[in-house]
Amino acid sequence: MADKEKRRSGATPPGMTEGKATKSDSDREFLSQAGVGELLRGAILKMVEARSDDPIGFLADHFCNLASASETGTAGGSDGDHLNNGPLSAGAQEQQHLNRALWHLRLTHHSQRSAFSNNVRVAYDLLNLTGPLRRSGEAPEAPDGSCTDSPTEGGGGVKGGLYTQTLQCLCSEGGVPASTSAPLLQRLHCQDHEAVPYDIFRHGVLTCAVFSDYIRQAQRLYAEVCCPDEGPASRPLCLAVLGTLKEALETSQGCEANCCDNANTKVNPCLEANVKALRYLEASAKISPDKLGQAMAGAQTRGPGGNMDAKEFENAAAELFITRVKVVS
Amino acid sequence: MSGSSDDITPVSCTIKPPVHLQIGDAKADAAQSGVCVVDVTLPFGKPVHIKDITFKNHYTASVTVRLLRRSPGQEAPAKWCTALRDLPLMENPHTEGGSQDYCSVHRAQMQVEPDHVISVRLILRQPSSAWLTFSLEDISIFPHNPEKEVSDWLSDLTLVEQHPDLEGLTDPQTVSSSIQQMWALTEVMQTNQTTASIGRYDVDGCYDIKLLSLT
Repeated sequence: MADKEKRRSGATPPGMTEGKATKSDSDREFLSQAGVGELLRGAILKMVEARSDDPIGFLADHFCNLASASETGTAGGSDGDHLNNGPLSAGAQEQQHLNRALWHLRLTHHSQRSAFSNNVRVAYDLLNLTGPLRRSGEAPEAPDGSCTDSPTEGGGGVKGGLYTQTLQCLCSEGGVPASTSAPLLQRLHCQDHEAVPYDIFRHGVLTCAVFSDYIRQAQRLYAEVCCPDEGPASRPLCLAVLGTLKEALETSQGCEANCCDNANTKVNPCLEANVKALRYLEASAKISPDKLGQAMAGAQTRGPGGNMDAKEFENAAAELFITRVKVVS
Repeated sequence: MSGSSDDITPVSCTIKPPVHLQIGDAKADAAQSGVCVVDVTLPFGKPVHIKDITFKNHYTASVTVRLLRRSPGQEAPAKWCTALRDLPLMENPHTEGGSQDYCSVHRAQMQVEPDHVISVRLILRQPSSAWLTFSLEDISIFPHNPEKEVSDWLSDLTLVEQHPDLEGLTDPQTVSSSIQQMWALTEVMQTNQTTASIGRYDVDGCYDIKLLSLT
């Protein structure tokens, strides 16, 4: 920040008169008054965290977001009469919060675990604030979102409806068609009157992010499996390929089930880790190129069995994923 | 042991009738010496790794377990060894304590590894003259499935030698890498499942039958 200021003042040609020197001072004053240094520092920090591929787009989004945030802030502050404009501005405010929360959630990919978790936390706190802002008289509760709080609105959790909307937006922005994401949302959604604690919010958001990646991958897989000029892929081939994935998932799932401890047995953690590692190895062996080659050749020899179009393939792959998602209750 | 698929069914074995050792002439009315031998033969040709031996005591004071083991290999001789010497089953041979207990002898208690066992010999001792007869009932032997180590599994992996006919099909490498990514994504989702609940079906912490909560 200081560099920028120096650069700015340094841009004036060196052999300048004193008049110019005072101008650079006033420049510096102006910049510090406007708080530009903080703005830029915040922007650069966010950019480093997000490491997006499109820095200019990212910075543009960032400043748009800040602009809308400051608008809401001033609007809320200047609005002294909550009662009259209550319902209208509440709804609009909710939308604002939702947009900002979504912006935060879009910042990093879910694979960057710590940055993603931070963003989820920020988004949760944003959505959690919808309650207390409306009721200005109430003492604001800590946006803890822990399950020990009584499940009342406002500070005790995110509103169920808002949470479901967040998930829907995440899925649609991730390129998942509504029909494919519907069964997933069925498992994750919450009723409007329910307050969603942080753990469930995070779980839902992460699942949707992973799901959109998964569906994109499935679409790519279909493109690979079917020969592009020959139209839709053969059904037995698609089923064979998805079958190997299903087998691998079931094998690694077996280790989850077996590792539930009997309270009476003394569990050796080394042994458990060993068993888990073994299961993962077994599962991954099932989807090695050799095994897949075998499965594909086997399907080929079984002869024609009709075609499977992209949509059906996508739905079949989605089902494999969705059946393993725990229902929120 | 968590994670191992333990067999609950015992190995089918033949339990020979107990042979009481007697002093002196068998025909004469000789006193019982208080030592009895029970042979348990395991199915022929299938040596067993024993996990444990369970039985019900019937007034036996102590038991010695001997195993006939044959290490794998064509010409390895079978050898007898003592797995457990004089395990007390009754605190006091003259009193009732422990006389009808259910007992089990685990492989961890044995002095030798009970692997590749062909036959088991149980030597029962009851020095007290208070009891007319003594024996062990319901003898069962449970097999042990050794946990496969990762290294064992890796060495078991054989490369697929035959190259399947893949005419007109996509390269299985690309398909495999896509499938692997999908598998990994699903695993990520599963490992991040939360146990938190939103309390949808909780009834305000009220489980008393007399107080029905009408929320």
